[in-house]
Amino acid sequence: MSSDTETGTETRAQALVASYVRAGYARIDPPVLQPAEPFLDLSGEDIRRRMFLTTDPDGRELCLRPDLTIPVSRDYLASPQAGKPSGFCYLGVVFRHRHSAPAEFLQAGIESFGRHDKAAADAEMLALGLEATTQYGVGAPEIRIGDVRLFSAFVAALDLAPAWKRRLIKDFNRKTSLKHDLEQMTLATANGSKEYQGVLAALAGSDPKAAHHLVTDLLSIAGIATVGGRSVAEIADRFLEQSALNAPTRLPRETRALIERFLSIAGDPDDAAGELRTLAGDAKIALGPALDLFETRTGFLAARGVDVRAIKFATDFGRGFDYYTGFVFELQRGRGQRPLVAGGRYDGLLTRLGAKEPIPAVGFAASIDELSGNGGSGETKINGGAS
Amino acid sequence: MTAPLILAVPSKGRLQDNAENFFARAGLSLVKPRGARDYRGTIAGVDGIEIAYLSAAEITSQLAQGAAHLGVTGEDLVREMIPQSDERVVLITGLGFGFANVVIAVPQAWIDVRNMADLDDVATAFRLKHERKMRLATKYANLTRDFFAAHGVVDYRIVESSGATEGAPAAGTAEMIVDITTTGATLAANGLKVIEDGVILRSQANLVAARAAAWTKEQRETTRLLLDRIAAQKRAEAFSEVRTRFAGMNDGLLVAAREKFGVTSPFGGPTSSGMLTLHCPPGNVHALANFLREHGADAISVAALDYVYARDNPLYAKLAAELDKRA
Repeated sequence: MSSDTETGTETRAQALVASYVRAGYARIDPPVLQPAEPFLDLSGEDIRRRMFLTTDPDGRELCLRPDLTIPVSRDYLASPQAGKPSGFCYLGVVFRHRHSAPAEFLQAGIESFGRHDKAAADAEMLALGLEATTQYGVGAPEIRIGDVRLFSAFVAALDLAPAWKRRLIKDFNRKTSLKHDLEQMTLATANGSKEYQGVLAALAGSDPKAAHHLVTDLLSIAGIATVGGRSVAEIADRFLEQSALNAPTRLPRETRALIERFLSIAGDPDDAAGELRTLAGDAKIALGPALDLFETRTGFLAARGVDVRAIKFATDFGRGFDYYTGFVFELQRGRGQRPLVAGGRYDGLLTRLGAKEPIPAVGFAASIDELSGNGGSGETKINGGAS
Repeated sequence: MTAPLILAVPSKGRLQDNAENFFARAGLSLVKPRGARDYRGTIAGVDGIEIAYLSAAEITSQLAQGAAHLGVTGEDLVREMIPQSDERVVLITGLGFGFANVVIAVPQAWIDVRNMADLDDVATAFRLKHERKMRLATKYANLTRDFFAAHGVVDYRIVESSGATEGAPAAGTAEMIVDITTTGATLAANGLKVIEDGVILRSQANLVAARAAAWTKEQRETTRLLLDRIAAQKRAEAFSEVRTRFAGMNDGLLVAAREKFGVTSPFGGPTSSGMLTLHCPPGNVHALANFLREHGADAISVAALDYVYARDNPLYAKLAAELDKRA
């Protein structure tokens, strides 16, 4: 890469961020050196091997920021603006081990906090993401979107044991696990602990409160107090939940078929919304607010001049990160290519970073390397962070 | 003088004793010409080998870098310390000592957790309830991550532990642990239990070769000789020698003995006078002796074997194939 193109890349990136500033997003530049804890806690242990970690003299684990979403969120929470609507944009290097690409690379992006008009905010993010592709002369990128909240609303409405619901939602971002779950739940015979089967059977159907007391008493008699963060009550609750789990030992075929039908819905957002309404009607379940928000958002996207017919929506599209709670999107040159821009809604993240009240949040990151055609090969996800 | 083959051997404790005994059984006696405190040694009567006495962890990293050709270390350390270990080292053979399992242990009080599926669910429920992830104390962060990823468990955090890992749940610094255990007694004493499908690795000491070492022709030849002796000793360990001579000993009887007792006849079938040498798994020798007497044998001798050499050298063949594959 010659210094000329490097300067060109830099200039265009600066122009992009300048346009974000004009759109009302304050430029922010959080420290490169960050505490490692939030990244490990929010992105999972798997990110550790891709991070550059170090330790300070007091033994605290630090890292070179692997993305900017968490640093920007932390700075926002530490500011007097915390809790109020605020938007930030950034351009900076992030550090991540990648197979055949440099570990230090540039990202530009936006994080928007505290806006309660979620559908409009979601649509604005996608539109601002498209500005990045325009800036770099990528005409009509493929737009892929999903909505994690539709799946959680759907699962919540199903008649399933709580443990199964938790598992389906957790595995939404892991396609092979999700498939495996469905297989296992359909086949599952006694899922629980064989040696307690008798006790569980005896307790099944008895007064839940009394059963709970019995189990906690038994644990106390055995001299077992709280061990390692899980209380005796929690253990008893889940132990009893297993008796419920074991009562109908398998997922009814119809329920599985319904889940699979849900996950196969894809197409442009308007058609898909129609199909989802039909499915909800057929199965007599309510997708209510989640589906309403989805349709309102599509309206806002159209209002922003996005060609809604060209958007590729899929119910099973997630971005592989557990902190997304709603809208997710990726812009790419073509199917199978690495994303140029990627982001989504992460309403739960700020609470987990210490906010007292839930704060809605949505954002995205653009890979400057990919946009300028200098992206290395290897990593498919441009973003280990939340947006 | 050409560069010697470097064999790294544990420098202290039971592991060192076991390793030295292992090599001694193969007729390779490790000596420290400059005294017991020396960290360099040789093998008596074998040229071209230098013994490096190191800790098991050092041996593992030296093998990963190719600074030693061969080394004795635990498979647990190899899998934990060397990313993509199969591309960096070759596990030539298990040595029959240093057995330990790397396991996942949770508090015994968790009566609702029997297996990984339970653990997965509990981890997610814990995160939802407490707004933080369950902590897992371990020295085996890489093994843990791979195993948990394979089981789809994501809601946990690793807390690096350098001391007594099994005490972490009681001390309140972690909810669960991954650690090595041989009998499980230490875990039980700390109120922990191993979950059913929670054995991450069944480990033992291994003879390990470094792919990245400079393998000269001479070093390969020295390795071939070493492995030939080790293979001969291993073969000898698997059999006792049974000798007999009686007229009724014929090919038909030999086939029957082969099927019943798993014997081999390394020097061919019975001679015309019925003279025969058999190699028999040690556990079957008495039954074999009865069988032979029932068919007419008057005298049978059984002896332990020191070495059994064969034309092939399976350990070296395996290593050579692996080294050539990368070359």
